[in-house]
Amino acid sequence: MTVKPAMPESWRLETKPHKFCPGCGHGIALRALGQAIDELGIQDRVVFGCDIGCSLLAWDFFNVDSVQTHHGRTTPVVTGIKRANPELICVAYMGDGGGYAIGAQHLVNAAGRNERITVILANNTQYAMTGGQMAPTTLPGQKTETSPYGRDPEATGHPAKGPEMVAAITGEDAYVARGTVSKLPQLRRMMVRALQNQIEGRGFSFVEVLSTCPTNWRTNAKDTWEFLEKKMPAHFRTGELKVPAAAGKDEDGKKAVH
Amino acid sequence: MSGAVMAEKRVFMTGNEVVAWAAVAARADVMYGYPITPQNEVMHYWTRLAPKHGKIFLQTEDELSAGFATIGGVLAGKKCFTATAGPGNVLMQEPVSMAEMMRLPVVVVVMQRGGPSTATVIYSQQEVTLTTFGGNGEGFRVVYSTAGLQELYDHTIKAFNTAWRYRFPVFVLADGYQAKMREPLTVYDPVERGIEPVAPEPYVGRPGKPGADRPPGHYRNTYNTEEELYAVVLEQAAEYERVAPEIVEHEESGAEGAAVLVVAHGVVARAAKQAVELLRAEGLKAGYFRPVTLRPLPAEALRTAAGRAGRLLVVESAYGQFARLVRDALYGLTVDVVPLYKPGLGITAEEIASRCRELAASSARTE
Amino acid sequence: MSFWVFEVRRIRIVEAYVGEYAAGKSEVAVNRALELAREGEPATLVDLDTVEPCYTLRPLQEELGAAGIHVVAWETRRTLGLGEAGSVLKAEARWALRRPGHVVFDVGYGVGGAKALNLVEGVEHERWFNVLAVINASRPLTATVEGIVAHVRDLGPVHGLINNTHLGSETTAAVVQAGAALVAAAGRSLGIPVVATTAPAAVAAEIGPYDPAAHPVRPLRRFMPRAFW
Repeated sequence: MTVKPAMPESWRLETKPHKFCPGCGHGIALRALGQAIDELGIQDRVVFGCDIGCSLLAWDFFNVDSVQTHHGRTTPVVTGIKRANPELICVAYMGDGGGYAIGAQHLVNAAGRNERITVILANNTQYAMTGGQMAPTTLPGQKTETSPYGRDPEATGHPAKGPEMVAAITGEDAYVARGTVSKLPQLRRMMVRALQNQIEGRGFSFVEVLSTCPTNWRTNAKDTWEFLEKKMPAHFRTGELKVPAAAGKDEDGKKAVH
Repeated sequence: MSGAVMAEKRVFMTGNEVVAWAAVAARADVMYGYPITPQNEVMHYWTRLAPKHGKIFLQTEDELSAGFATIGGVLAGKKCFTATAGPGNVLMQEPVSMAEMMRLPVVVVVMQRGGPSTATVIYSQQEVTLTTFGGNGEGFRVVYSTAGLQELYDHTIKAFNTAWRYRFPVFVLADGYQAKMREPLTVYDPVERGIEPVAPEPYVGRPGKPGADRPPGHYRNTYNTEEELYAVVLEQAAEYERVAPEIVEHEESGAEGAAVLVVAHGVVARAAKQAVELLRAEGLKAGYFRPVTLRPLPAEALRTAAGRAGRLLVVESAYGQFARLVRDALYGLTVDVVPLYKPGLGITAEEIASRCRELAASSARTE
Repeated sequence: MSFWVFEVRRIRIVEAYVGEYAAGKSEVAVNRALELAREGEPATLVDLDTVEPCYTLRPLQEELGAAGIHVVAWETRRTLGLGEAGSVLKAEARWALRRPGHVVFDVGYGVGGAKALNLVEGVEHERWFNVLAVINASRPLTATVEGIVAHVRDLGPVHGLINNTHLGSETTAAVVQAGAALVAAAGRSLGIPVVATTAPAAVAAEIGPYDPAAHPVRPLRRFMPRAFW
């Protein structure tokens, strides 16, 4: 008897093992998303859009229809799909560069229009696939290839607080949360509630995922965990930032909030 | 009239409106757009018609978003289009490059304005290079350059069919004059004329559970290796070249034995045609050649016409963008190509005629 | 001269031409201003097109000025990016009703309809103010009685209709008269009088002083083809 790895049903077996680096948070974030798709039984209705950067490695990750684009344009692509066919459940998956820098206008305006789509954004505090440059989310003092002496907030500002911004500008019936790959059950619940918000046709849903990038952080397992669990939460508070009244409280999620 | 395409009728319209009505006639479902002069009334009229015809519209945050949302609409299986101009066309090249890579049938209407940059909001033919070969690719797209409101109606309808039949992005290239000018034209339901609209089909969201009932649709614009991309681009090139003869269109008159062959496209071709009629009435052997498709260019027909002519006068409201396409097609022929470039300015039949007279006189002297 | 005679003599015409995009508002307004100027009173023509002012009256300003019309419109060279940087209202347009004599407003199209007149100071106090809707039944949205009725209702307060049905250079008496019938029916349905049919001079001559629906026929001299290029 062979032991099958516990994989969400919506994952595509033929493309596993996936191509992310060892210790990368994307695999965990996509596990949470896969579990959420399974739990809601929407595999035949989901359209998954991914961006450029490491998120593009997910272009054939799921057994769902998928489209890969770049520069945060995943948001308008899935907006275009959703408005043309509202029956579909449209997910845009991207990194912090796509969502908060080069494609920030798309995130801002999709949130402002309260598009009935779900945006999931992995925050690993830098541009990973291009080789570890500074991102809007880079922590003060953090060294990257384009902030070799550490990010100086005087010169380049403070880490972008995406979910806080989205919560401030989106509709009252939007769902906004920040989870972390260190708390998979909470993250899975957030994904379920985000997708549920779209399924119910209530409004925009947005989940930022605090994620890891040991390859560019140049960290071992212990330091990676410490960066994720100690340094990032000092700037990025996890939990639900905006919950439509109709969605009710999430007890599991509440317990996990820092 | 609610919901139905307008019955055949002579009407009085402006160019931008014509595009909106033609899109309805072509059974387009969705427009995503962003305001920029001089194309705004395309959106103004689409939004006025949309609720009566069950159409979808969204004003996006910019042209990038309009273009990428158009890609989304196409992926969802809808006939989807956008319209833009000038700096908006610059931004539009990013989504169109993706549509080229994925062979997606997006339709983009361009109303050229002055350039470079913001320049003027009124008129030019300075978006020829951008529209034919913009983006970081090979220009595998179709570009129809119209010369008046009837053609704008006919070719907007045709653009959707060409896009969905061949799965290359299609541009309808007009300009601020055509956008704003008013003239009578005949509107019609293409179905009544035997032009069957090519049915769109979804790329995503087809029936069944992906991985169980059917393979998932996985679409990407990124490739890992040079060899992989090379194979993709070569396949696209072969397909583009295969279908090009079915797509090319041109118009010519009096090219055979013309002392001067006037070559022009778009609204300038109207003036060129008039000039040639004027000159022929005067007894001057003038001819006229007008590519309707700038991509693919009717190169064979152009070479044939040019080979029989004494000289070519290339006329455009730009500084040689169209002439570059022409010269490229004529490579190897010895025919003399004389420019008449007026970037961002309208060109009258009289100007063209008088330049032709000068040319005829100078060649008479040399003979 | 007694006071009331003075008053009557000083009654002025204040008209605003509104209607659908490309219905012919500018052409009708220019011709009306010329007609009024010919009677000898001062006449002012105001370009109140806030959507695309650069395409209307500006190339004609000199010619109209020579004909005795004071034109209130931007000259393109004095502005920047008209139609792009947003539409800019010329301050003089706001105060146009302070000018002596007749005043004709050429109001551009847009969802605001006749609301553009709110930009003009003193409109509400003008006793003889007429808003006239210009209708071209060759335009698809106003090609039916229902279409015209719905369109005019959208415009806001309208006091009269003008049948300006035409097909550009292809205009014939038959085209104009078919439009007259539609506009007349729409006018009955709206309870708004049709004040005139307008037509290119040659066609107007062919129709005669009244069209078959008994509307007075005003000949038009065409200016707009030149305004555009």
